[in-house]
Amino acid sequence: MANTLSTRAHYSPPWADVSIIGIAGSSGSGKSTLSHAIVSKLNLPWVVILSMDSFYKTLDAEGSKRAFNNEYDFDSPDAIDFDVLVDRLRDLKAGRRAEIPIYSFAKHAREIETTSIYSPHVLILEGIFALYDPRVLQLLDMKIFCEADADTCLSRRILRDVEERGRDIEGCIKQWFAFVKPNFERYVEPQRKVADIIVPRGVENRVAITMVIQYIERKLFEKSKAHRAELKKLGQSSEDDPLSEKVLLLEQTSQLRGMNTIIQDIDTSAEDFIFYFDRLATLLVEHAMNNIYFRETTVVTPVGSKYHGLAAIGETSAVVILRAGSVFECGLKRVLPDCRTGRLLIQSNLRTGEPELHYLKLPENINTHDSVLILDPQMSSGGAALMAVQVLRDHGVEEERIVFVTYFAGKLALNRLTKVFPSVKVVVCSVVADFEERWIEKRYFGC
Amino acid sequence: MASKKEEPQSPKQCVGPDYRPEKQKPTATVSTEVDFENVHTLAQTPQLIALLTMIRDKNTDRADFIFYSNRIIRLLVEEGLNHLPVVEHTVTTPVGRTYAGVMFQGKICGVSIMRAGEAMEQGLRDCCRSVRIGKILIQRDEETSLPKLFYDKLPEDIAERWVLLLDPMFATGGSAAMAVEVLKSRGVPEDRILFLNLIASPEGVTTFCKKFPQLRVITAFIDQGLDEKNYIVPGLGDFGDRFYTM
Repeated sequence: MANTLSTRAHYSPPWADVSIIGIAGSSGSGKSTLSHAIVSKLNLPWVVILSMDSFYKTLDAEGSKRAFNNEYDFDSPDAIDFDVLVDRLRDLKAGRRAEIPIYSFAKHAREIETTSIYSPHVLILEGIFALYDPRVLQLLDMKIFCEADADTCLSRRILRDVEERGRDIEGCIKQWFAFVKPNFERYVEPQRKVADIIVPRGVENRVAITMVIQYIERKLFEKSKAHRAELKKLGQSSEDDPLSEKVLLLEQTSQLRGMNTIIQDIDTSAEDFIFYFDRLATLLVEHAMNNIYFRETTVVTPVGSKYHGLAAIGETSAVVILRAGSVFECGLKRVLPDCRTGRLLIQSNLRTGEPELHYLKLPENINTHDSVLILDPQMSSGGAALMAVQVLRDHGVEEERIVFVTYFAGKLALNRLTKVFPSVKVVVCSVVADFEERWIEKRYFGC
Repeated sequence: MASKKEEPQSPKQCVGPDYRPEKQKPTATVSTEVDFENVHTLAQTPQLIALLTMIRDKNTDRADFIFYSNRIIRLLVEEGLNHLPVVEHTVTTPVGRTYAGVMFQGKICGVSIMRAGEAMEQGLRDCCRSVRIGKILIQRDEETSLPKLFYDKLPEDIAERWVLLLDPMFATGGSAAMAVEVLKSRGVPEDRILFLNLIASPEGVTTFCKKFPQLRVITAFIDQGLDEKNYIVPGLGDFGDRFYTM
């Protein structure tokens, strides 16, 4: 065990250490408009706005009654469940999935369902007390305080509460003078002192927005560079190492070589390509199934004799890395017709070559499945493979339970994956040159 | 059955991938070893044993029986096809790399022994799309209790083809031996016949291999033996009934 630990290489996915930006300010000061402006200017996938409204405490009967009479103080830090907020932010910072509560203003309670956030590029935490709790402050990469005139704030707040939250004007004004204004002076305004930037006039303040955007972009660029450098480093140290015993190569029989020849021949028709690839994919999945877990069992045959055999333990599910991984689905269905199948879309950035996670949908309770097959026909740099395994780890799937199934793989990519995740099994048909361009999916889908 | 303890027992062993320590691998009954070069048994992987366990179980329903036997049949066909000749053939790949591969050589056909053998045709077609398939009907003559040829329909040019002979249960090998005689009488050389079956008996394999030393037998499992009614033990019962009518 100690040996495994010491030889294990470290991989940190690009979504670990997510950049979190906190935006605080008085109610109606334009925090949420500013957050949306930043998101649209950044023009990146997976930028998430997290509103602190989600973290209101569930009210007891008494509090609830006061809330419906507009007598409950929602603008005091006591109304916010900072413990849960800090937990969730720490999860996200560590690259884990976080379940965010949904607060119902109609019921003044949390809904049973939650929204989950996973692997954002940038997270914007927006709320009047975004810069209030010292534990939150430690997690923020940038602290913004939004400022606006009090009368602007009040008029905005009335419009919003009447239109969106079903309140009446009188109630809003009552709340403003009873809670909002005194709280602002006591709790909100002092946050100015800890802010990195104070933005007056909200979205109209183009200079401020540009500054923020530039700062985030620079930060992301540095992170992407670090991620790529780390991937590269993983390779250098493992270039000459022999393949791990967890890399399982199909036996190179004459049929296999024959099929490989047809599949690789540029002159093969699309029809033949698909037929032979499906046939080979079936063999690969059959081979992968030898790495799941079995238990002993004795059955009685129709002639009345006993046979001491094996039965698979638990459920085996699959995760397809899109687009290419779906070329394995025909083979998968021949072996496991009712296999639950998750999908994740990883695309390499055209400019930098860095793999990016764009879409993710996994079977519920995937962490309880006994084995999970990851399907992707080619491992070029191994970046997508590392990312996919990391995604499963973040969703609670143990490394021992993962079998990665691939058709072509470079030695370097195989070494990278097995260095970082030494317990993952890799079933592969052929080892080819490093960094071969992905072409199987193009041939299979014809585009 | 006074001689019960003298009955041959099938070997047991730990089954699982090499990287797993022995004590983490479950034990199962595996195929009996036989001493014939031309008998090829599929690798005794845990998955194969689990598939066989499934189809041997008398409580497995027909849909599962069909599905799991088809998976084994496909593995058998893949193994059988490995015994066909290939020639060197180099190609250029879509990314411009050259690949020194091989090309399949020679024509093939399937011949199924009716009716159980016909259950293996799907598996053959899964690997060889437009393969020709001949059929032979052999039934036990009720008077002599010897197998008798009732019907055959084979490709005309069968003498120029490699023949994959299909019959899932290889018990005494009586029908298979008769089928081989039919094929030989049509000019198919013995060494171009591959007999594919799921479960064989040691007795059947021994008689057959002595009779046809050139012919290759490809099986998933060699069982313990035959009972007094010549059923394979532990076997899986009547394959044709379980696949088609039960």
